[in-house]
Amino acid sequence: MLHVKHLVKQYPNTEHLSVDDLSFSFEAGKIVGLLGPNGAGKTTTISILCGLIKDFNGEVTLLGCNVKTKLQDLLHKISIVPQQIALYPTLSCKENLMYYGRLYNIPSKSLKIMISDYLEQFGLHDHADKQIKNYSGGMKRRANIIASLLNKPELLILDEPTAGVDVQSRSMILQFLKDFNAKGNSVIYTSHLLDEAESICDEVLIIDHGKKVIQGTPQELIAAHQTDNLETLFLKLTGNTVRD
Amino acid sequence: MKRIFATYIKEWQLIRRDLGGLALLFLMPVLLITIMALVQDAPFKDYKDLKFEALFLNQDKGKVSQSIKEGLLKSGQFILIESIDQKPLDLNLTRKLVQDGSYKLAIVIPAGTTAEIVNSANQIANEIGKKVGIPGSLPHRESRDSLSIDVMFDPVSKPTFRVAILNAIDKFTTRIQADIVLERIGKLNGGEGEGQDTSFNFEEKLHALSVKEVSSQQQKQKISMMNSVQHNVPAWAIFGMFFMIILICENIINERTQGSWTRLKLIPGSFSHILIGKMLFYVLLGIIQFYLMLMVGVYLMPYIGLPSLHLSETPFLLLIMVWSIAMCATTFGILVGTVFKTTQQALPVAAMSVVILSAVGGVWVPVEVLPSILKNISLISPMRWGLQGINNLLLRESCWQDILQPVSILLGGSVITMVLAWWVENRRKG
Repeated sequence: MLHVKHLVKQYPNTEHLSVDDLSFSFEAGKIVGLLGPNGAGKTTTISILCGLIKDFNGEVTLLGCNVKTKLQDLLHKISIVPQQIALYPTLSCKENLMYYGRLYNIPSKSLKIMISDYLEQFGLHDHADKQIKNYSGGMKRRANIIASLLNKPELLILDEPTAGVDVQSRSMILQFLKDFNAKGNSVIYTSHLLDEAESICDEVLIIDHGKKVIQGTPQELIAAHQTDNLETLFLKLTGNTVRD
Repeated sequence: MKRIFATYIKEWQLIRRDLGGLALLFLMPVLLITIMALVQDAPFKDYKDLKFEALFLNQDKGKVSQSIKEGLLKSGQFILIESIDQKPLDLNLTRKLVQDGSYKLAIVIPAGTTAEIVNSANQIANEIGKKVGIPGSLPHRESRDSLSIDVMFDPVSKPTFRVAILNAIDKFTTRIQADIVLERIGKLNGGEGEGQDTSFNFEEKLHALSVKEVSSQQQKQKISMMNSVQHNVPAWAIFGMFFMIILICENIINERTQGSWTRLKLIPGSFSHILIGKMLFYVLLGIIQFYLMLMVGVYLMPYIGLPSLHLSETPFLLLIMVWSIAMCATTFGILVGTVFKTTQQALPVAAMSVVILSAVGGVWVPVEVLPSILKNISLISPMRWGLQGINNLLLRESCWQDILQPVSILLGGSVITMVLAWWVENRRKG
């Protein structure tokens, strides 16, 4: 499903490589955790995977589509949930979703039904007409996810989807990811919450300084390195030095 | 088309909740148009249309000075003040009041003016009588040197004001002198005009050849005069359209910083649909804004004592012209929003650039009165071309060829701006 070969990315006017000869692959239908400390290259990697960054070296193929040559085909199959709340704060949740849905050329009638279903599923139905700026942090995160589901993606890429949300919202989001995955869809997500990653991910990839550190199922990796949990393993592999 | 329309609707939803933005779009231009039209009303008027308070120091007290006084009052241009606090003026007080700016001008009729003018008129009448063979001679003496009606001006008054007032007084005194000469000729034969044909009007005959302003436009009888309203309404309406760039660049930067831009770029399909939808919205907004400002010129201006705006007789050409200006303003906003990363950087630059482009583009004062260096700089201001095109349509009998140049320059500028914005955006993606 996902094949990355010798991926290299250096931003203009910087001396170091943000992604340094990174190669990995995953099978479809899994929840994959892309983990790493701050500045490890997670967001850059995600941006390359979804075609947001086009100027890179290496080869990236997702769901059978080469990112460089078949990006438009790929964009029909994937969706990204950005770390930022990528919604218009002064529009209501419904208005935001209607706008993004129309950009996907979804017929109005089906779009309205789909939005209503998602709002119900994410507990936002009663707040559909509220402006996003008046939402709580958790509500914003949930609305942000719904906006990324309108094209019915096979692969959902999430950048720290549970950052800064309360326990209830976090639980709802994680449950959604499990349900989404149970329907045969794939998920790639980044997080600094390693207990969360350990509980939800089928496989994890730890990267640091733009390079691959390790890849495998959380259980295999914990056992192989004789650590108690993923967080201890993470610290063992990436060190205790604070990153900026 | 659906994506373009969706973006158009989204922009409308965003703007209708942005009260500050709406005020900037509609209230600010109305205020600017009204205030600037009122402020610039006097400078745009011919001085003949204005009335001035003038100190009038009459040291002559003769018939001629009385005629001058009556004539000045009759002209309707002057309110003559001969005493302050019930004390008659003297030369020192007159000088002081003008010097300290209490009055803009003073007219001093020196003693002996009547005697001098009558003496001069007698000399002319005698000379004419001699040449045409009329017997008799009127009494006269040698003319005095340097007798003049003195006019003092407030030191801060503008040269154009001084010249206009001096010309008006000079014209008036010349006419009085001519009347006296005619009267003295009538007296040459010793009588008061007995036996003469009283129906013969000397004054009328002297003005057989007059100077009259006519329209340069073949088909129009009415003269479209440049006045404060005619200059300020289109000029500040164009300024208002360009002020829209503040909203556009804020909109684009917010989309980028809030992440919506990223989401939009990851939606399959051409990004140009989204851009066209956005442009369409702002271009239409600019056009609506401009026409509302024209309505202000037509209907509101007369309520505040200003002339009504004279509108174009070629509405379709006007629409094309306004559309070109709106296109240029919108693409300029997109460029500023693309170049700058934060609203803190972009908004001051946007506001300053609009003010500078308007100043050199003839919005504040017509380009014709700018120094030559600024006239050359004005060529890069889209507002100059916009205003030129609009004035061509509103004031001149223009056809499509006359707006071809401004429209081409504005649309060419829009294309260049969009290419630049595209280049900057592509570079930013890394």
